[in-house]
Amino acid sequence: MKKIAGLLLTVLLAVGMARAQVSIDCHLAPGWEAAGPVRQYSAENLYDYKDGAADGYLSYGFARMSTIDCKSGGDTLTIDLSEMNDADAAYGLFTANRDAKLPIAPIGMGGQIQPQSAIFAKGKYYVEIAEVAATPEADHSALMQAFAAGIAQRLPGRESAPEALQWFPNENLDSIRLIPESVLGLRLLKRGYVAKYKQGQAFVVLESAPESAAEVMKKLRERFDGSTPAQIGDEAFQAKAQYLDGICVFRKGRFLAGYANLPDAQQAATLAAKLAARIP
Amino acid sequence: MSSNTSRREFLSNGLSAGLALPVLGATSAMALEPQSAKPAAPAKLDYRILGRTGLKVTTVGMGCMITSDPSVITRAADMGVNYFDTARGYQQGNNERMVAAALGARRKQVIISTKSHAPNKEELHKHLETSLRELNTDYIDIWYLHGKGSPDEIADDLIEVQQKAKQQGKIRFTGVSTHSGQQNLLPWMAKKGVFDVVLTGYNFTMGDDMDKAIETAAHAGLGVVAMKVMAGGTRRMKPDDPAYKKLTQEGAMLAALKWVIKKPNIATTIPSITDMDQLDENLKAMAVPFSAGDEKILSAHLESIRPLYCRMCGECDGACQKGLPVADMLRFLTYADGYGQFALGRERFLELSAEHKAVRCGDCAECTVKCPHGVHVQNRMARAQELFA
Repeated sequence: MKKIAGLLLTVLLAVGMARAQVSIDCHLAPGWEAAGPVRQYSAENLYDYKDGAADGYLSYGFARMSTIDCKSGGDTLTIDLSEMNDADAAYGLFTANRDAKLPIAPIGMGGQIQPQSAIFAKGKYYVEIAEVAATPEADHSALMQAFAAGIAQRLPGRESAPEALQWFPNENLDSIRLIPESVLGLRLLKRGYVAKYKQGQAFVVLESAPESAAEVMKKLRERFDGSTPAQIGDEAFQAKAQYLDGICVFRKGRFLAGYANLPDAQQAATLAAKLAARIP
Repeated sequence: MSSNTSRREFLSNGLSAGLALPVLGATSAMALEPQSAKPAAPAKLDYRILGRTGLKVTTVGMGCMITSDPSVITRAADMGVNYFDTARGYQQGNNERMVAAALGARRKQVIISTKSHAPNKEELHKHLETSLRELNTDYIDIWYLHGKGSPDEIADDLIEVQQKAKQQGKIRFTGVSTHSGQQNLLPWMAKKGVFDVVLTGYNFTMGDDMDKAIETAAHAGLGVVAMKVMAGGTRRMKPDDPAYKKLTQEGAMLAALKWVIKKPNIATTIPSITDMDQLDENLKAMAVPFSAGDEKILSAHLESIRPLYCRMCGECDGACQKGLPVADMLRFLTYADGYGQFALGRERFLELSAEHKAVRCGDCAECTVKCPHGVHVQNRMARAQELFA
């Protein structure tokens, strides 16, 4: 009995410590102080803080947010620490918010530092830092880097990006995003990664099992009039559609993947075959 | 139901007549096959004039905040939807970029609104220039000050930036978006005379006070755009929430949208549209009028929240043995639970007298307040005290 109680206490302490680790404050750079208490938001009241943007957080799998305002002289900044349902959701939200024109900085699973803002994801946490500087054009990148690195150091969890990102070919790649629902604007394709290329886009949708993936594939094919079979993965088809142009979709096990928005279906099929070879 | 029916009348009608009516199933019977892979057929469209702007807008517009792919926006424009809403703050600017990519070739045929939550004029000016660049346009049709809850939040220098931008032709019309405090804010905007449009949360769960605020704004010439028309949707609900099942049943969201667009003071709506399927579904709101079937769906939802929702009938005035203003306190709770405006609810609660704030309804052996509409008063009051005190 004592052993069980001891074990329970250990677990509770571990949970408590994990919670303590994710606390946020402003003492991450000299001269910065809190301008108010830490505020907490859940899915129920995130609208109070983020207005319409709350839907974006919720769609990725939002659990809770802690936020604090910091002040130094005439400069203020706000830190939003979002706890997501899992690391993929945190990384997904980062991909939705990153500027595709800027490089990814090595903070946690990935981050971006700008003159007056920073974002990054680490483990199941997604962090946004936004400054309102007394001098609007001031470059405070170093300060943003210091805050981001300081917070990242306190956060537990994964520092590597999701494995699926490695499956997309790098050549002519612009950006990769996790789409939380309706990949390619189609409700059938529930959740997956979309890679934008100089021309066209590739996608990988993660179904729970090969059987459900096959069912989705069947329904998907019915939506594309005039589609023709293709020899990729377990099953595939290619088609030409008004908004998705040349498209090829294949199923490989529980994954549905392919290319869209290419000039013709054959080109989409050629690239899809290369993508299929990279998916385990 | 006439379009002038108040929410209170609707509620009482819906809870009685609505429950007695058979389900017409009109919406599901008329469901269209998703056409994502096929050319977009022009939808049956319904237009209104957006207040003093004179803009002719489709009554169903498009909130682009969580749209999953630019092709959905392009298709909406091809189908005739002409009002598209985004914001500087959505996805750190990526949403404006998506809207630009989707509507580029159609820019002159559509109305684009964006918003800025910048706290001062320098930031606001910077946001405008960034929005123009990211939207790849020379002008923004409607530029909102984002998420304002009271006149105090709208400083004169923010208005000056809007007016100057309008004179310079960088924006065509000025606006304010609001999720709370509409009862004060909208009449203030109506009197102020410097705004052209208001974007406000509005849906079938809201009370007569909201209808009055909107009427004041519309009569003063403000164009009224409604958001949160699906009562906040189901994203923030847990599947065991009693309202979740109701709002996820077939036709519920469409019924909620149709309820809003039948209101003559609302010029357009901006439901968030994620995908092609939802686009097709929402466009039906312009083709098929609000029906008894829709009323039944919404009244079923309201029935599910009946124990929670105060109708402000006043029957409980003076009934509390501790002298609590029951209806007021239930209204504060509705701000938090119904409209998602916890801060507003708490603010109002804290304005109560110290004596009233100290009361804990759980301490009473029996509640002397008996709601004729079935609201579980003691439980709800206890929740308000737990939440706000």
